[in-house]
Amino acid sequence: MSGLRAFSHHLQAVGQAPLPPLDEAIRQACREPYRRVDRFIQLALLGAARCGAGLPLDEGCGLYLGSGIGPEGNNIVVQEQICRDHLLPRPFNFVNTLGSSATYFVAKDRGLTAQGWWACRRGATLEALLELALADLALGVCRQALVGVVEECPAPYEEHRLRCQAPAAAVMAEGSHWLLLEAQAAPGGASLALRAGEPAELLEALAQAWAAGDALAFGAQVPPLLQAGVARLVGAPPFGAGLPFHDSLAAARATAWLQEKKKGRLHLLCGGPERLMYLSIQAPA
Amino acid sequence: MTPRPAHIVGLGLSCALGRGLQPSLKALRAGQRRTRTLELRGYSEPVRMPYYAMAGEPDDLFAIERFLALIPEAAAEALAQAGLAPDALKRCGIFVGSTAFGVSRAEGEYLEVLGRDPTAAFALPRVGFQEISERLRTACGVGGPDFTFNTACTASANALLAAQRLISLGALDHALVLGLELANRTTLTGFSGLQLVAAELKPFDAQRSGIVLGEGLGAAVLSSSPGSLGLRLAGGASNSDTFSVTTANPDGSSIAALQRTVLRLCGLQAGQVRAIKAHGTASPLNDAGEAAGLRQAFDPLPPVLALKPYLGHTLGACGIIELALLAGALEQGWMPATAGFSQADPALGLTPLLQEAPAPDGAYLLNYFGFGGSNTALVLEKAS
Repeated sequence: MSGLRAFSHHLQAVGQAPLPPLDEAIRQACREPYRRVDRFIQLALLGAARCGAGLPLDEGCGLYLGSGIGPEGNNIVVQEQICRDHLLPRPFNFVNTLGSSATYFVAKDRGLTAQGWWACRRGATLEALLELALADLALGVCRQALVGVVEECPAPYEEHRLRCQAPAAAVMAEGSHWLLLEAQAAPGGASLALRAGEPAELLEALAQAWAAGDALAFGAQVPPLLQAGVARLVGAPPFGAGLPFHDSLAAARATAWLQEKKKGRLHLLCGGPERLMYLSIQAPA
Repeated sequence: MTPRPAHIVGLGLSCALGRGLQPSLKALRAGQRRTRTLELRGYSEPVRMPYYAMAGEPDDLFAIERFLALIPEAAAEALAQAGLAPDALKRCGIFVGSTAFGVSRAEGEYLEVLGRDPTAAFALPRVGFQEISERLRTACGVGGPDFTFNTACTASANALLAAQRLISLGALDHALVLGLELANRTTLTGFSGLQLVAAELKPFDAQRSGIVLGEGLGAAVLSSSPGSLGLRLAGGASNSDTFSVTTANPDGSSIAALQRTVLRLCGLQAGQVRAIKAHGTASPLNDAGEAAGLRQAFDPLPPVLALKPYLGHTLGACGIIELALLAGALEQGWMPATAGFSQADPALGLTPLLQEAPAPDGAYLLNYFGFGGSNTALVLEKAS
């Protein structure tokens, strides 16, 4: 089990009204009020700043940031400038089309100089980032890993829903979900483990966890029939079933569970149809 | 736990030099540098630049169908050389690096609806991060977990490094790594607006004035078991430079730190590095930072070579494209000369390798730097 030193959770459902600006929150949480940053970068900055705020990070702390949809709001602006308005994109708009712009600002704000990666897997970005970060911790590439998943929800929301291929009835949301991991868990501290496995083996583990009174949850890419079957078996809805939707539901459910200060363990069946994964999080004693 | 080696067992390449690794190597050895002029009309400022289009491509580089049609090309070449058994192919991880992904397709679809019914058009009609790995699954039968990297010009270098580490740890036995960058309006207008584009790509030259863009696909199959190629991806390192979002610190400090880290992680002394493939974009600041960083970390400097004068800057794909080209040359026993250099810049103190040279066995270092402060270095080992 790797140590889970800190987390942060931001999940904001969208309604009819525009999402509130983040500038004031950024001013309070970050080192400086960064200019030329879009909402995607702001969400990344805010989540990273709140994850272990006040904790000095290891000099070699790795940064692993990702998103299933990416900096969508800025990329819409750029495509409209180029294709509809026949204008060259503004330099900062163009540079911010890249996910690594968000990595840059987070590294700058948290004083990170080691590895900074932006990676994703549609519907399972947390799982992909954790695979990379846990491998680097195991290999000694880094001793700490700051892992963050950011999903933006730009208006108009119906167009966003189409891009996300979200269920028609889902309430859409933006989110920023962060975990600060260490190679070894501290005694009595929170911890986290991730593994891949055959469906039968993972379902057996899930059943045992339920019998032990632990919480269960699912990632976005777990086949719905499988989710329904497990829910029927245990006779209760999984944790986070009512949370609003974005592309990284495993991340939203993991940090929401930590936010609620639950005791015991959360067992998250995640990954995708090609390869199921099992994420277990142990709350601090 | 003893880390497992990551052997390179298959390579594939489609670039300005040629379609396929062997034709590309032949053109490289002949010194081929072929660009065409690309022009986008109707903009408030002229968008006209030299461009390294993939060899044999038609005039219309913006055709919507190019993206999906081209994705499997280099991967199929690499997989054919690797010869993975069907069950190995099903478990083979997929690692993708790009800056633009399928934006050419999304632009084309948006423009098509704009032209037909502007009221029905909305920008970014599709999100392209996952399209490449999905296409590789259906076209090539690769079935393992996928990882997509968007760290600007280090994207496919980081994809290679991640694949090497997961194989090293035993989490995967095989990995297909693909870098892809195709011509698109966003990249061309964006770089035009940044005023980083030059008429000719002249790395480390006193007259260097900027980059020339290019397109291409590169692929490598990594495996825990050796294949017919005597090549191994020994490891690498990556760091973050917060000097500027668009360039590494020109004092060379972050690049020197990266060189030292990669040597430490790979258990190498500076004197053991046979040669360095520079990032060598020919932009004034990038080359200044790279030359300063190399001189701080290596004394004396091993031979330094740059490949972009033959390929253009293929952005997120350059990590794998330049590795494939260098690996192919090393496997044949030679190091490529650097084209485009005629006048040394006294401020850099670096003259690249100007004549083809024999390639001895040993460690070769490859550098990549990108927007967002992303720096990555890889170590390629050649053994007879």
